Amino acid sequence: MTTVSPTTNNERQTTNKLVASEYFVLFLCLVVFAAFAPFTPDFASSGNLWNIFTACLPLLLLATGQTLVLITGGIDLSVTASIGLSSVVGALVMGGDAGWLRGSPAAMPVAIAAMLATGALVGLFNGACIAWLRMPAFMVTLTTTMFFNGFAVWLAKRNVDAESIYNLPPAFLALGTQAWLAAFLAVVAALGAHLLLARTLLGRWLYAVGHNPRTSLISGVPVGGVTVSAYMLNGAFAAMTAILLTARLETGSPNHGKALLLDVIGAAVIGGTSLFGGKGKVMWTVFGVLFLSLLGNGLNLLNLSDFMITIIKGAVILIAALLDVWRNKFVRGS
Amino acid sequence: MNTPTNNDEQRTTHNETVVSFSGIEKSFFGVKVLKGVSFDVGAGSIVGLVGENGAGKSTLMNLLGGILQPDAGELRVNGQTYAPRNPNAARAAGIAFVHQELNLFPNLSIAENLHLTDFPRVGEKIVRGSSFVVRGDNEPASAPQRTTNNKQQTGGGLPWIDRRTLRSRTTELLRQVGLDHAPDTLVECLPAGERQLVEIAKALGADARVIILDEPTTSLSARECERLFTLMHQLRKRAIAIIYISHALGDVLRICDDLVVLRDGERVGGGETKEFTHDRLVSLMVGRQLNQLYPERSCWGAQAPSPVAVGALADHPDGARTAMIQNHVAKDSSAQTRTARARFAAAGAAALPILSVRSLTQPGIAHDISFDLAAGEVLGISGLMGAGRSELARILFGLDPCTSGEIQLAGQLLDGNPRQRIQRGLAFLTEDRRQEGLCMEASIADNIALVTLTQHSRTPARWLDFAGIKSAVSQMREAVRLSPKATDSQPVRTLSGGNQQKVVLGKWLLAEPKVLILDEPTRGIDVGAKFEIYQLIHQLADRGAGVLVISSEIEELIGICDRLLVMRHGELTGEFRREEFDREKILGSALHASKPLAADVRRL
Amino acid sequence: MKLRASFTVTLSVFLGVLLCGCGGSDSGGNGRPASSASGTKKLTIGVAFETLQTEFWVAAFDKLKADCAAKGITMLEGVADGDTSKQFDQVKSFINRKVDGIIIVPKDGKTVIPMIKAANAANIPVVLYNRPADPTDAQHTAVAPDNFAITKETVNYLVSLAKKSGKKQKAMILMGDLSDVNAIGRRDGFEAAIKEAGDAVEVVARIPTDWNQEKALAGVQSAMQANPDIGLIFTSSDFMFPSIKSVLSNLGKWKKHNAPNHVILGGFDGDATAYQLMAEGYVDATGVQDVYWEAEQAIQVILDAKAGKAAPSRIDDKGFAITQANMKELEPRMWGAVVAKKRK
Repeated sequence: MTTVSPTTNNERQTTNKLVASEYFVLFLCLVVFAAFAPFTPDFASSGNLWNIFTACLPLLLLATGQTLVLITGGIDLSVTASIGLSSVVGALVMGGDAGWLRGSPAAMPVAIAAMLATGALVGLFNGACIAWLRMPAFMVTLTTTMFFNGFAVWLAKRNVDAESIYNLPPAFLALGTQAWLAAFLAVVAALGAHLLLARTLLGRWLYAVGHNPRTSLISGVPVGGVTVSAYMLNGAFAAMTAILLTARLETGSPNHGKALLLDVIGAAVIGGTSLFGGKGKVMWTVFGVLFLSLLGNGLNLLNLSDFMITIIKGAVILIAALLDVWRNKFVRGS
Repeated sequence: MNTPTNNDEQRTTHNETVVSFSGIEKSFFGVKVLKGVSFDVGAGSIVGLVGENGAGKSTLMNLLGGILQPDAGELRVNGQTYAPRNPNAARAAGIAFVHQELNLFPNLSIAENLHLTDFPRVGEKIVRGSSFVVRGDNEPASAPQRTTNNKQQTGGGLPWIDRRTLRSRTTELLRQVGLDHAPDTLVECLPAGERQLVEIAKALGADARVIILDEPTTSLSARECERLFTLMHQLRKRAIAIIYISHALGDVLRICDDLVVLRDGERVGGGETKEFTHDRLVSLMVGRQLNQLYPERSCWGAQAPSPVAVGALADHPDGARTAMIQNHVAKDSSAQTRTARARFAAAGAAALPILSVRSLTQPGIAHDISFDLAAGEVLGISGLMGAGRSELARILFGLDPCTSGEIQLAGQLLDGNPRQRIQRGLAFLTEDRRQEGLCMEASIADNIALVTLTQHSRTPARWLDFAGIKSAVSQMREAVRLSPKATDSQPVRTLSGGNQQKVVLGKWLLAEPKVLILDEPTRGIDVGAKFEIYQLIHQLADRGAGVLVISSEIEELIGICDRLLVMRHGELTGEFRREEFDREKILGSALHASKPLAADVRRL
Repeated sequence: MKLRASFTVTLSVFLGVLLCGCGGSDSGGNGRPASSASGTKKLTIGVAFETLQTEFWVAAFDKLKADCAAKGITMLEGVADGDTSKQFDQVKSFINRKVDGIIIVPKDGKTVIPMIKAANAANIPVVLYNRPADPTDAQHTAVAPDNFAITKETVNYLVSLAKKSGKKQKAMILMGDLSDVNAIGRRDGFEAAIKEAGDAVEVVARIPTDWNQEKALAGVQSAMQANPDIGLIFTSSDFMFPSIKSVLSNLGKWKKHNAPNHVILGGFDGDATAYQLMAEGYVDATGVQDVYWEAEQAIQVILDAKAGKAAPSRIDDKGFAITQANMKELEPRMWGAVVAKKRK
């Protein structure tokens, strides 16, 4: 069922093709780029583009992980708490003042392993509540956000009597100062998630569970296990984000990444991942992240005040969501 | 019992046309789905609208209900041009559409559902409700051209709901449809059949003069159907016209006054019901002579199953090709010899039970159920709605628990979750195709491959072999004769009911099950697709699998099964072998010792 | 054509929004960087504030803006809303745009060090405004108040009032975020003054607030419940006075300084609220840091650096304590008073 439009069939098909294409958001990125470049000479400089790229890595990692969860029809609001807890745990393992392994050559690998394990465990807890106790994802992850965030603060205060933990080993800090290293890790992780979704059994199962968990169960898909693994993977992605942020700021803190949550969901949804499950791709999310980052950076270079940037970003995300509804309803849906 | 028939001479105002369609055309994306349809609906008549899936019935009714607008042609209501822009306009013109998926809010009460758009308010002048109180069931409907000014009349009033009036109006409306629930009962507490009646009460509350019923009986029990039909005849006496859409041709022939047959967007026949027979109706619908409703089977006659389809199944490249297939193909090539299945059937259930159930009990659902299913056998389970047939299937598949009893598959204990049972060779086509059979938004290919994905994945990373999946899917598409127009990447949502069911069946056939359980496999599916699904069932059995078919239609079970079990209140109450099949007797055990109700006999 | 129409719509939405944005920001910092047509190269300074949540920071921010405008300097803005990672990105963006200097209000003394190092690497001078960094070899200048001295002077006045009351007073201090050296300096100044007072005053409650008004409110509430006879309250920042007022009013203890039941009140910052409360007679004293002077110094450091003059690593704002006794004469130098009067 479609609306009657006065344009001819041919023109409409061209528009429809463009709008329904999975590269639509990439096209929007180009529009943003073209809109900003004439006004801000710095915008298109290679230095600035590299800057945009390195600055969006934490968002890229988080949004990629979140995409896995969104595809199963869930949502994970607790990623910021996972980041904070991982950051504190990692810093407590290797920190120079009070770290359990301070000075030891094993400090950095053990700390990184501990951070990934922390993220995955938070995901396991969330996933277990959602898949096996059948609690709503929104509620579970909202409350675990409070719980794990509080836990991270307590852990930090108990050990170093402050929220922030400093003096991390220089090898670890290289992840922050050598931007190409962080970029390499993030790109590899995103590529891994892409291959997982597109090429493996677990990937197909994630989509199936998102489409219809009952049908999946009856068709022999281990629905519980698939759901839990989505949350655990997302937790691991949050931990990777924690590694980047901790290294870049040379501080372990429960407050890292707190402002990222809305951008994460926003980037995934702008990319085209459905909040109802069953639909989404890592590539789409990458486009969404790129779009948000370009927009934010461009507005920044125009020297707008901070609140103005926030207003415009909010408006643009809303418009993008509207476009998404529109293209689903009138182009793909009919 | 006062059961209506189509000879009922009480049709009072048959001549007065309420709705007339003339030259209606409608296209979607350049494809014409209605090609100039014309017919009239008389006041106080029940018009049956029949046709295969995709014939254009729903589109036509969506035009009448204001959901779509026609490209050409004219609609008239009471002689006036009628062009509703939306469902509200249609409602205001006295047209009520009772959809197949009911439009009630389960979490609201009956009263709230009935008055959602116009709650009676405190201080409001009660004009509207009175017309119902005066008009009783026996009052002859002398005013088909009833004016509509007695509704939507808001006589001022305060912005508070008048609870008392709300209740009394609701009670009155419920009385008219033969329900005696409290108005505050939540709709979710009502069984499916009663929800249908509430939906009709809602139509009456809106002063409908035309009620469209789209497949109202698919989820109703025999008793509930009979109640609905009785109500329809009462409404007819009140000059309300009913347009009745159904695949249950027996019902249509029995209760409708007139029939309209659609095929490919054209009206290919119509007239008074008495001019039609079942066979004529079917041949009009499918556009060719359909000699048989159920496929002939190799063990009875000369006709072998379609060699094309069997060949496709047998040539399946993936997975171990079972000895059964080779056996079957070999036999098939030596022409008239009996097939593997015939051999199994002849040897009897005792020889090689592939599924064996002993004393299965779950309080309130199943009691001490024991039976065997032989390899190559098609075993039917009959019974009334609510007898526990679907529940039994769910227990067998591991979806629901049982407190005691034992299930054996090929001589070994069967337990664990559905996933483990699938790996042992069990398959289950559930009664709810949309919610449990398919991922509606996912593609045809993804749906067909879902069960067998594991076989196409390689360790350690469980990498998928997409070429293998693609070829398996395309072979299966051919085997189940899925519409060739559909592409692999098309969402199954866009397919007709019959093709959707073929996708579900294909999904399970790829797993090459030892035992396939089918729960209402042909519900809501047109005649042609039914036939093909029966053929597929036979082919599977011919390859040596055991097939368990649950159905509410005794005719269907008689048509395709080797043996029949009958369930009543969670117990097995009868067993019939093919040579003993007899409708009356089967129904007798479904209803137990007592004399079968006339209504149920007619229904089944 | 529909295709073109959709292009146009998208573009015009963006452009429209952008134009609104530019119009809005014109009132303050002006235009884009490095775009002046005249011969002399215009200087550009990046200003990254951790927060703009209290009027203290707003006053400082406005002063920097006004001074830059007066000197013909382009000022780039960044406000991080408490997010260190965001602040880092903002500083990196300044560096990438080759600004001539960066002024930072960091969230704490440690996380700012990587930012300073990044600026050092690009050879851009850095000034930490009001909050100094922890000891580091990264090159920068901190312009900050001498918290210890100003606080001690203020609390000395409060103690003299307590001694005058003739009885031993119980005291409470609202502490800031102790990862902030300012908070530490003020606490130490307070403790030193109390210690000197001997047993005239006894500290019974030390409330951690993390610079958060709700935490302060809850803390004061429970402390007043535990010790209803607290007679002296010092807050490490004036913006927490409203929390104190709300608790004291409920207990009937919100009284002017000459009333018998008055609780001796002192603060730090010298903001408009504090000025108002002092003018009305409720607050006895507050330590004033000279925001305007600090802003001037910060910009001067960058100008000096451009001119090749080396800057010290630390510039102290000596500040002063304003009290009910010296209010008349010192009022013109109190930034909060200027803000409050402008508001009227």
